[in-house]
Amino acid sequence: MIKLENISYSLNGKQLFDRLSVEIPAGGRLLVSGESGSGKTTLLRMLLGFVRPDQGQIFIDGEELGLDNVWRLRRKMAYVSQEMQIGRGQVENFIREVLRFRHNRHIEYQKDQVLKLLNEFQLSPETIGKDLEELSGGELQRVAIIVTLLLDRPVYLLDEVTSALDHPLKKLIINYFTGLSEKTLIVSSHDGIWHEQGFPTINTGNNGSSS
Amino acid sequence: MEAAPDIGIMRLLAAFGLLVIPVGLSLFMKLGIARQLFISAGRMTGQLFLMGILLVYLFRWDNPWLNIAWVMVMMFFACYAVMVNSKISFRHFLAPVFLSYFIGTGFVLLFFNSVVIGYENIFTARLMVVVGGMLLGNSLNGTVIGISNYYESIRKDNKRYLYLLSLGATRQEALLPFFRDAMLAALRPFLANMATMGIVSLPGMMTGQILGGSSPETAIKYQIAIVLAVFAALTISVSLSIYFSSRRAFDDYGILKAGLFRK
Repeated sequence: MIKLENISYSLNGKQLFDRLSVEIPAGGRLLVSGESGSGKTTLLRMLLGFVRPDQGQIFIDGEELGLDNVWRLRRKMAYVSQEMQIGRGQVENFIREVLRFRHNRHIEYQKDQVLKLLNEFQLSPETIGKDLEELSGGELQRVAIIVTLLLDRPVYLLDEVTSALDHPLKKLIINYFTGLSEKTLIVSSHDGIWHEQGFPTINTGNNGSSS
Repeated sequence: MEAAPDIGIMRLLAAFGLLVIPVGLSLFMKLGIARQLFISAGRMTGQLFLMGILLVYLFRWDNPWLNIAWVMVMMFFACYAVMVNSKISFRHFLAPVFLSYFIGTGFVLLFFNSVVIGYENIFTARLMVVVGGMLLGNSLNGTVIGISNYYESIRKDNKRYLYLLSLGATRQEALLPFFRDAMLAALRPFLANMATMGIVSLPGMMTGQILGGSSPETAIKYQIAIVLAVFAALTISVSLSIYFSSRRAFDDYGILKAGLFRK
């Protein structure tokens, strides 16, 4: 369960959030909508402890996000954003490198699984041997999604993941994630197609107030 | 072999006479560098004269403690030059960069003087001050490139860094790719330069030694040893600078602190 309590945050003199409170149960869904620059990305980054609110608390599974648990709580979440920058080198090497991180070593690299996911997201099996820098924005985004899926985290934070994709791919990704019924999904988007999913929605608007 | 003859003051002025060409060109083509050139040439002349006077006394007294102290002063100026040339804040970086120079250059300098040269008194001014200056001067550029590259790419590719953190990387794991890139950027120009040495460039130290009366055979051996020593000092200084400064540059959440760069 994720709970935001009275979150206030200003950036460059602009108040993005004013005592925002919202609660998402485990396995629940939340759509954060609003114009660009209204704080959607900031809100997602706050959950990861990349941005700290001026006021208010964030609770993840009952623990208040703070200094002593931020690194552990981050590992409950998977984050994909728009305009990914992943790095350089071969896709497969990158995936292996991520799975060699100290906290990911319990996950075994299985090529079959990666190939299956590539297929699922309409990427060719050759993608695995390609260089990250050769990939288009849309391909990179899907590779980033695949990496997070391998980590199998309980919470997914999807920041405008579909905005750069064409319609069939948008649908594909939305269907995939809505099919993960036990995962908590927090999606930021101003893409109309997410609104059709009937997720509980908060609007960061253009003045930062919530509704 | 004979030592190089002294250059009389009139002859030195003749060298300044060469500046007529670039100044003329600058005026003619409106390059606008004439003023800068006078300032730079003036600073260079003043600094070297002061250094000359200082060296005369350092050599005359040849006190080990004084020599060590002077090397520390040079290290401080090298750090200062790194800060000025890389837009990083003095407050956060001066101490870690100084410490890296102290360890990196200090170690290589002692190794060079005792093992490579094998002089009895390794703290003598001839070795401490001169070799120390060579190591610091020649590793300066690489350090500037390395440390600027590191922090600027973390800032520029912040999404990449945050993505790695979100994938469960520790701070060190997420910083490793940036560290690799910065090291390569720092060392590559030096490697390229090393490979052309003797063909494209006759290095300054060697030229100086030959003019000073050493045989070319001795001069090349010194040159080879000093190039290797500079490379080692550079590698240690850059990597330690990045390592030590990283400990202060990020907050407990692993986020790059604000205010690391000068405006």
